[in-house]
Amino acid sequence: MKYFGLIAANLGRNKLRTALTASAIMLAVVLVCLLLTMPAGLDVILEKAASNTRISVHNKAGIVYSMPHSFTRKVRQLDGVAGALAMTWFGGAFEEAGRVTFPNFAVEGEHIAAVYPDYNIAPEQLADFQRYRDGAIVGRQTMRKYGWKIGDRITLRSTVWPVSLDLRIVGEVASERAPMLWVTRTYLDEALKAKGRTGLGIAGLIWVRAADPSRVNALMREIDELSRNSEAETACETEKSFFANFFGTLQGLVTIILIVTGLVALCIVFIAANTASMAVRERAGEIAVLKAIGFGRRVIFGTLFAEALLLSLAAGTAGVLATSGLTRVLRAVAGGNPTLGPLGSFIVTSAVIVDGLFLSLFVGMLAGVVPSFGAARKPVVETLHEVF
Amino acid sequence: MLPLSYSLRNVSARPLRSAMTAGVVALVVVACSLFLSLISSLKRTLIASGDPMNLVVMRKGSDNDGSSQLSLEAYQAIRFFDGIARDRTDQPLASPELVVQPFFRTRAGGRDNVLVRGVEPVALAVHTGVTISEGRMFRPSAHEAVVGRGVAGRYAGAAVGNELEFGRGQWKVVGILDAGGSSFESEVWVDVRELANDAKRPFPYSGIRLRAASPAEVDALAQRIESDPRFALGAQRETDYYAKQSESANSLYVLVVGIAVLAGIGAGFGASNTMYAAVQARTAEIGTLRALGFSRRAILSAFQIEAVALATVGFGVGAALSLALSAAIDVYLGGIAFGAATFTTNVISLRVSGQDLAVAFFLALSIGVLGGFGPAWRAARLRPIEALRKA
Repeated sequence: MKYFGLIAANLGRNKLRTALTASAIMLAVVLVCLLLTMPAGLDVILEKAASNTRISVHNKAGIVYSMPHSFTRKVRQLDGVAGALAMTWFGGAFEEAGRVTFPNFAVEGEHIAAVYPDYNIAPEQLADFQRYRDGAIVGRQTMRKYGWKIGDRITLRSTVWPVSLDLRIVGEVASERAPMLWVTRTYLDEALKAKGRTGLGIAGLIWVRAADPSRVNALMREIDELSRNSEAETACETEKSFFANFFGTLQGLVTIILIVTGLVALCIVFIAANTASMAVRERAGEIAVLKAIGFGRRVIFGTLFAEALLLSLAAGTAGVLATSGLTRVLRAVAGGNPTLGPLGSFIVTSAVIVDGLFLSLFVGMLAGVVPSFGAARKPVVETLHEVF
Repeated sequence: MLPLSYSLRNVSARPLRSAMTAGVVALVVVACSLFLSLISSLKRTLIASGDPMNLVVMRKGSDNDGSSQLSLEAYQAIRFFDGIARDRTDQPLASPELVVQPFFRTRAGGRDNVLVRGVEPVALAVHTGVTISEGRMFRPSAHEAVVGRGVAGRYAGAAVGNELEFGRGQWKVVGILDAGGSSFESEVWVDVRELANDAKRPFPYSGIRLRAASPAEVDALAQRIESDPRFALGAQRETDYYAKQSESANSLYVLVVGIAVLAGIGAGFGASNTMYAAVQARTAEIGTLRALGFSRRAILSAFQIEAVALATVGFGVGAALSLALSAAIDVYLGGIAFGAATFTTNVISLRVSGQDLAVAFFLALSIGVLGGFGPAWRAARLRPIEALRKA
């Protein structure tokens, strides 16, 4: 560390160049980190929201194809099923937004606890949900977005069914990224019958929780077997795979993002390498003098290499810090935006931070090693000859 | 004035540094034109759909035809309204349509929700922008399908002559839909009755597309439909309908533009840096030139020309790279899938247009001019004696 002063002085010698290089590296780290937060957000959501013991049962043809509601009962009777909950897309638009801005479904209140024990919905709230037919349970994300609290009354106009439902919020899913809203199935059923329609005979999705994690695959096969040759054959998958597929359409964008990220990273290596080699060339005479008065190659190489590393690491750290500040702003702007889906989540995971720092370290090493090595190796006489 | 060949020879005299500077510019050009083409391709797909002479009729309150339902009676009454264009046999140009989004298997093994539109043969007369570019239109009741250009490239079994599996059965693909890159190319069209059967929909239609008899009739016709008390229907221009659907991509544009701007600035720093380095390395040479009597302006323009030449080379390499990359993405990924607000997948084929390249060229040029100016200025201002002493 006794050479630290020398390294710092060298960095301060050509302030314009140091600043340009540091800014380029910092901007690039910001860019790369920002782009990486998007696929990272996707992973975080899958990791947090989805479970491998919960099974999605849906029509083989697609999630917009329905199943008879009676199938839920058949599934519930299977061995090893801890709970089964039918969900039907209500597609309710909230009056202020005028369009569907959060996913909302009609569900069966009495089966929530068995299928979603991990949602930790307070038992008294679940009891209220079953007591009041106009009750609604809302995820925290949506609660916060609209400033709702338990006890509020809201109206949702369905874009699928010819009804509007007046609802009272009785409970909350206390999870950070939970945008959903649940209404009771019986309420929607009655509202449809009141309009002279047949009731809600269908289920869009059935969520099943397996009692035994090791039997999930067997259970999925059993359920699909149960529907074989029926009007609506099913395709089971775990919740994780369901959401991974659901967000699969974003994969193309993620690919483009990663390609561009790679290009940008490459760009910085070029820039930094060029600058480092410049810094070395400019100081050729000085390095020769240092060698002539007895400093070893290792010291020469070490100080030059350390200079490159220090510069890029400082820029990288600044970049990572700037990213986390920027994502906070972006999250506030895009967080409530369902069209970006998980891409709008901008989550700076520790992996993203590590990636950013590693990138800057990598750039520093790559950029510093060749010129430093060259400078250290060059014979003193030759260098001095060039200078004088 | 220094001869042009001086500047150009300098580019080749220091191949490594020149390659680095041009490389930085090339990478910026690739990143910039890829992002721009992503935006322009998205826009082409989402916004360019629809015809201003067409109306979309849906149930009141529905904001997309995927969630609307319509009865046979409503269709039969509406199609004889005044103001609807008619074909040669005097049949109204009213296309009853049903929209369903079943799973499709991608060639990569994933699955997407693809928009399948049940139509009658009249649909091609109503949707004037849609043509069958390969094969033929499906025959009713033959379990045949025509697929959009984007669909054909992306999904298993979606090529002409193949059996395409979706919904409850298999459909023979007999033609390709071409719609000038608009979102109809992300759709599959089949017989409306067969689709209603397959999806087991209680109502046969989700909406009607109408072609107005004349531009003056469009609003009046919409008014007539909206005010009919029997069916509670809403009508809007097809172009408005798709413009509204495309709002979901607005936040994406902002994101992409922001990223492109950041990348551009970063690269500007880099290019400027390398040019500064180039000037610094040549201090002695510049001093000699000045001592020989070349004016400051001559030096300034020589360096500026060198920077622009480097930027142009960089642009050429970058443009070629980005064209190759976008073609590779289309071939290997079958286009980019983008899930819009509705559950449907839009297949966007990434095409780097001349306009995208023009913008990228402008960016490269500004990097060259701006990045080169500072260093060139510095070179021109060097005092000959000092510069020579450094040598």
